[in-house]
Amino acid sequence: MADGGSTSNTGASSTPSGTPGPSVPKAIGSLAKKPSDVTRQGSQRLKFVPTLPSRRKKEEVKQEAPPPTIPSASTDRGRGRGRGRGRGGEGRGAAPRPPPVEMTASGPFAMGPALAGTSARRSAPRSNFTPIVPLGPGNAAALGAGLSGAAGPSLKRETNVLVQKEIKSEVDDDYYSDPDEGVEIIDMENVRQMDWMAPESLRKERKEKKKKKVTQVKIEDPSSPLGITNKDEAVDIEEVDLANALDLSESEEEEELEDLIDDFALQGEAEQDADIRQERLYFFQFPEPFPTFVPNIPSTSPTTMSVDEPPSDSRPRKVSFAADVKPPGPDVDPAGASTGPEAEQTKELPTIDGVIGQLEVYRSGAVKMRLSNGILMDVTGATQPSFLQQAVHLDLQNKRLHIMGEVNKRFVVSPDIDTLLHAMELRDQAEINAMPIDDTNLIKMN
Amino acid sequence: MDDDELISVLPIHYSNSLSPNVHIHQFPLLSRPLQTPPAAAVSGKRIRARIKPITRRLEIHVPVDPRPEVWNGERSKELGAARQEDDREKNQDVGKMKQMEGEDPRLAEARMRSELIPQEGAYMLGVVRNGQLHLQPIGETHQFRPTLTYLDIMSRKSRRSRGDTGSDDDSDDGPPPDPDEPPPKKKPLEVKEVQVSARKAADDKGNLQGGLSAVRREMLLAIRAEEDEVWEDLDFCDGETAEGHEAFEAVFSQNEEHLECKSDITAFLKGIKGL
Repeated sequence: MADGGSTSNTGASSTPSGTPGPSVPKAIGSLAKKPSDVTRQGSQRLKFVPTLPSRRKKEEVKQEAPPPTIPSASTDRGRGRGRGRGRGGEGRGAAPRPPPVEMTASGPFAMGPALAGTSARRSAPRSNFTPIVPLGPGNAAALGAGLSGAAGPSLKRETNVLVQKEIKSEVDDDYYSDPDEGVEIIDMENVRQMDWMAPESLRKERKEKKKKKVTQVKIEDPSSPLGITNKDEAVDIEEVDLANALDLSESEEEEELEDLIDDFALQGEAEQDADIRQERLYFFQFPEPFPTFVPNIPSTSPTTMSVDEPPSDSRPRKVSFAADVKPPGPDVDPAGASTGPEAEQTKELPTIDGVIGQLEVYRSGAVKMRLSNGILMDVTGATQPSFLQQAVHLDLQNKRLHIMGEVNKRFVVSPDIDTLLHAMELRDQAEINAMPIDDTNLIKMN
Repeated sequence: MDDDELISVLPIHYSNSLSPNVHIHQFPLLSRPLQTPPAAAVSGKRIRARIKPITRRLEIHVPVDPRPEVWNGERSKELGAARQEDDREKNQDVGKMKQMEGEDPRLAEARMRSELIPQEGAYMLGVVRNGQLHLQPIGETHQFRPTLTYLDIMSRKSRRSRGDTGSDDDSDDGPPPDPDEPPPKKKPLEVKEVQVSARKAADDKGNLQGGLSAVRREMLLAIRAEEDEVWEDLDFCDGETAEGHEAFEAVFSQNEEHLECKSDITAFLKGIKGL
């Protein structure tokens, strides 16, 4: 059994240093830290063991090979397995891992980087204040997991506290052969779930069925940027890898279009939980200058015109409607209907509140904003950042910083070119016509 | 385009009731939500924030995960001491010295400092509710990155004491020097030389007192002014507080009335500077 060349150990078993192995010269994986095994910092490099190791590796430190039973509830915070630098200390001689334990990622991190502004579809924006899952009973032990040698990182079972709607089916994880004792097979993508501090998994293109589709624009499944995905179809990782290269461009477009539609046309389906802040926040980038809006000449009772005050003042013009609806929160003033027939309200400082137009969603996926006065704008998806973006409200008077939520998607709004050119043309025409032609020397060119 | 079927129409509401206090905070190095790690939450640590209102700089302090598997306690003491010194120098003490219970100060939180980012165009925050899109203008955009200025202190100390380049001291020492290679003792000398020469060149260009050009002095003044400004603490309210609700509700416009538009679509084209 000199097949010391196990998958992870490139070195021969010729240096069974310190291995208290059996007296039989059964090849046991060398415990010397090979350069490939150790990062520059000296900590143990995590290894991925995709196939059945030929023999037991009792003191192997690196493997993560989960049984394909990483449970579905990906909301739980991944606990237990100490990682990262903790490994460095483990080096050799670490006790064998406890037999693979179900580990679930819990808490808001469970879905990995999906939370931060990806175009992944999330039925509920979990990051918008999903309450932090309280530590399960097994977590306390996880905290005390020793680093070096002792009982090994704790892999405690966790209770699944499902807060998130999305359920991940675990069955389709690639099934690896039974792990040895102390070896756990973990899908690379699921590394993120293992612990609060676990590193990010790079996202993979996955074919998956979208849960909600308003329009069946495409049947095939665009990729999901989630590291942890719904695997409704059993797709092998290898296959997806190949498919990645091909489907990337197509699927991105599809997904964008679909998302635009879904974002805006989901009204019918809005099964919002009673949870707070289920609304998604979007970021729109308009061209400068943002058109100014003034209220129409209102029919309501006229109020004073102190237009130039910044909205942070509490003004006496709580007009007829719903003034009491607004809580006495920060700087709220529903004075949009305040009279402003004069042109003093061309500034944007005064509180403006009202309907400025409509958003039209077309079947082709185009989204247009039709604002009053004939302004037509195209709405397109912007580059989605991979990092966290929060919308906050800064309340200096009360010394508070409110987090309103994460910005899920970004959109760029640009004027519709046809409309713009047409308007320019009209304006030019008007200018020409308005010019008094009094000089006989002037020749009309058109 | 004519056969493009209209699927749905959402009225757009606009309200600037909360402006200019609506901000976008970006965390370019973070891809997970900003939350207290559960291990730290257990011991009562919360995210805190503070602001320098005039300079428009914010700091968010996020507690770290102190579990021994992922956090080096010893190291945190070293860094904590360095940070304390750094705080004193730059007038950015947190002010709560809870950890001074006979213990060395520890690095218990990650400080994220904000940079004000110029906005291109008009940014709006949109929320869809009840089949309506509500827009609020966004006042400022901040990007948050962790500040590691305390590392300067450490490297300064070590540079003085050891005479090495000192840059390796903050992390684990690199691979032990190869005995075959000559020890890297010559570097400090080279460094010094470079510094001297650079300064001289600057003197020639600057031609002002002290060897500082006007621009550099302005910068230094600005930095000093900022350091002198006092931090104001803020309550960091997560979404679940009552005040948070209020703030959020304020985003939605209350008025159903249609507003007239004073500008034309051509304003966009004319608004382009330089065109």
